[in-house]
Amino acid sequence: MSENTSYVELRHINKHYGDFHASKDINIRIPKGKLVALLGPSGSGKTTILRMIAGLEHPDSGEILIDGKVVNDVPGSDRGIGFVFQSYALFRYMTVYDNIAFGLRVKKTPEREIKERVSELMKLIGCEGLEKRYPSQLSGGQRQRVAFARALAPNPQILLLDEPFAAIDAKVRLELRTWLRDMITRIGITSIFVTHDQNEAIEVADEIIVTNLGRVEQTGTPSELYTDPATPFVVRFIGNSIPVKNYDRFQYFEERGKESAAILRPEFISIFKKGENVQYSKSAEEGVVEDIIFRGSNLEIRVRLHGNLLSAIRSINDPDIQVGETVDVFIHRLFVIDGEKVTMKYNQSLREESVII
Amino acid sequence: MELRKNSGPLKWCMITLVVVFLTMFLLLPLVYIVITALSKGIDTYISSITDVYAVKAAWLTIQATLWAVLVNTIFGIAAAWCLTKFAFKGKKIISTFIDLPVTVSPIIAGLIYVLTFGRQSFLYPILDGWGIQIIFAVPGIILATIFVTFPFISRELIPVLTAQGTDEEEAAALMGAGTFTIFRKVTLPHIKWALLYGIVLCTARAMGEFGAVSVLSGHLRGKTNTLPLYIELLYQGYDFTGAFAASSILVILAVVVLVLRLLLEHRGQKELDIHK
Amino acid sequence: MNRMRKHKSIIPGFGLSFGLTITILSLVVLIPLCSLAVFTARLSFSEFIYTITRPRVLSGYWVSISTALIAALVNAVMGFIMAWVLVRYDFPGKKFIDGIIELPFALPTAVAGISLTHLTTTNGWVGKLFYEAFGIRIAYTRLGITIALIFIGIPFVVRSVQPVLEKMDIQYEEAAMILGADRRTTFWKVIFPELLPALISGFTLAFARSIGEYGSVVFIAGNTPYETEIAPLLIMSELQEFDYAAATSIALVMLAIAFIILSINAVAQSIVSRRVSGLA
Repeated sequence: MSENTSYVELRHINKHYGDFHASKDINIRIPKGKLVALLGPSGSGKTTILRMIAGLEHPDSGEILIDGKVVNDVPGSDRGIGFVFQSYALFRYMTVYDNIAFGLRVKKTPEREIKERVSELMKLIGCEGLEKRYPSQLSGGQRQRVAFARALAPNPQILLLDEPFAAIDAKVRLELRTWLRDMITRIGITSIFVTHDQNEAIEVADEIIVTNLGRVEQTGTPSELYTDPATPFVVRFIGNSIPVKNYDRFQYFEERGKESAAILRPEFISIFKKGENVQYSKSAEEGVVEDIIFRGSNLEIRVRLHGNLLSAIRSINDPDIQVGETVDVFIHRLFVIDGEKVTMKYNQSLREESVII
Repeated sequence: MELRKNSGPLKWCMITLVVVFLTMFLLLPLVYIVITALSKGIDTYISSITDVYAVKAAWLTIQATLWAVLVNTIFGIAAAWCLTKFAFKGKKIISTFIDLPVTVSPIIAGLIYVLTFGRQSFLYPILDGWGIQIIFAVPGIILATIFVTFPFISRELIPVLTAQGTDEEEAAALMGAGTFTIFRKVTLPHIKWALLYGIVLCTARAMGEFGAVSVLSGHLRGKTNTLPLYIELLYQGYDFTGAFAASSILVILAVVVLVLRLLLEHRGQKELDIHK
Repeated sequence: MNRMRKHKSIIPGFGLSFGLTITILSLVVLIPLCSLAVFTARLSFSEFIYTITRPRVLSGYWVSISTALIAALVNAVMGFIMAWVLVRYDFPGKKFIDGIIELPFALPTAVAGISLTHLTTTNGWVGKLFYEAFGIRIAYTRLGITIALIFIGIPFVVRSVQPVLEKMDIQYEEAAMILGADRRTTFWKVIFPELLPALISGFTLAFARSIGEYGSVVFIAGNTPYETEIAPLLIMSELQEFDYAAATSIALVMLAIAFIILSINAVAQSIVSRRVSGLA
């Protein structure tokens, strides 16, 4: 990302709530037109960042820039922002129509234009015919769509969404995720949303900013975070992680440095019945299956290896494995953690074999 | 719900006890006022309540009540808005001071106004120079009435606004709405019924205030006598029919207040259910 | 200025609402309280002690406190029963009873006072009955004062306990019943402790209000010194003699008593809530 492409930028932002240091030297750059997720556990400071961009909170120090201009002293209403609240904050005593029209009426838009804009938005969100309803007469998904339309009505340059899916049932949530992604891509508006759900962030966002304890841990595309995590926190937070002690006892990982711990992912492990796969069996180790969990589309195999309980995924089409069976376990790679540094280590046999082949 | 359905003798004993207790303590005094007021015939009743001093006393009561409702409504809305929509230090102290007037004896309320505006106060020469008399005059009565009803409206509004949160106001402000637009379009619909309810309570208490007003009134018939003070005057002059006739006006107003209260509570609850 | 800006909320109107609040609060409450403080500071201590320890004043305090305490206790018991009946039982006329409980708030105290007095003199409907049957006088005795204070204190306990009882989850009781507790145990061990904070708060509010009550009591009391003269009346008579120093001295002690009662409530509430959250 180069300086001139960033549309929203935070420079050295600090924010305290009493003794609580909510934002610690935050530096963020968000390019124009991107859909960005602020991802982190609760209390990690992600909502604070969002609210500071909106002008709902004010940083103790540092600068907030929108489109190259410092906006610290610009009130939220003049920053060209649309905000979707976690609880939607729909005006409960106004109809859907009045809710969406509110921002336009405040700006003294002629009533005829308001009518056009509202019906255009109602069509966009697929809620035609609900104009006269009150928020309480809508389903959770409809409320979210109306909140979205209300935020978009005055044509903002940036759309901010605070946990947009938190208040919705699991099933509707999946549907809305795709919907929201399509909508935002179609409109092409720079959007930032806050979430604590990694799947949501990975599925919806172009880019993810991972926060923890008031700091930004890493910024990157979902696949970058996944394959190249910068900090131990990101390794543990993104994807499934299996902590491993004594990883140097694993075959082909003997070259141990000063690193204290390692982290495995289920997809880094392959499990075979004895003699099932000749390519890896030479370099695989023996482990004992302790548990098999049916996961619908696949099986989770729990296997004991050098005192560590590892989880691996196996297709339901593969030959059957029983609990108690001794199997071949092959570890492709793992993350080793040295203080705040993370490095990927590959199974050395892979290198040797590739040389042979 | 099995547990709560208890139709044993205990239930009916308790209900009877409650009915007897309330009949003795609440209904009997109420009915007694009406009966005594009418005991010497309807003509005496009408001439008692249309007595020139009775009308003047009623007018002063109305004046004091209107002032109290006006000031406390403005104050109640401002205080509730300020205490629930913003974070700042000293909130607790402010709300303690707001609630203070109802925990103080009405006589003491009167006393502190006498100390503030009476002859021994440093304010007295200043106000006297401007020709303003507060104690033993109408302004004192109005002040005392405002004081004893001071928290009535804010106390109704604060819980409603606390429960409502600040999201809607923040959303409106982000879209650029000003103070009065936000208040009128977003906040007011939430507190409408609570506000009316508070006004009803404030009215009821204001028109019946006796102790504090008694301290500050000069007890001048036709000048600084409110209806309750006028009733006291008649009663002490052994004009029982007159006293009870004047009382009956306040009884009717009290019943109206109770009915309004129930209606408002009902309406407010219904609206809350719709817009939950 | 910089600090102020950082604390500013996006919601407008802080300056206006805060300004109005503080201005009106100052004019109505703070300035008069300050003048009380200023006047108090000018009192001579020996005179203060002399005033408040006069036998007539001491007996005034005693009359006020004892009658208010008895009335508040009666209201605690009756208020609890009324709240229970109104929440847990269904019977014809329930709505009406619920409606008239607020009457003592709505009816002017002086009106209630003259009505109760007239009813309970030895010639009144109720007073005659009691005098002829049991030889008990009500009006112009401490019993009469207590009756008037019961009247004005009725709504406090009911209205504190009622909402808590309404919100109480039936699952508590069901759990206790399933575990084999009988009705009485369930009430005393499960329900009552939940209602206790509300009961205490209603009781102390009624108590504090009764101690300062004037309008409804002054007619029925008869105001015989050492017998039925309440403390607020003593303040009133000092005021009528323009003895502001004496009036203020008596009032200060009453304010202290009210403060103590309300503090007892605050302490009781914090003990109960600490116990509940401590166990959780």
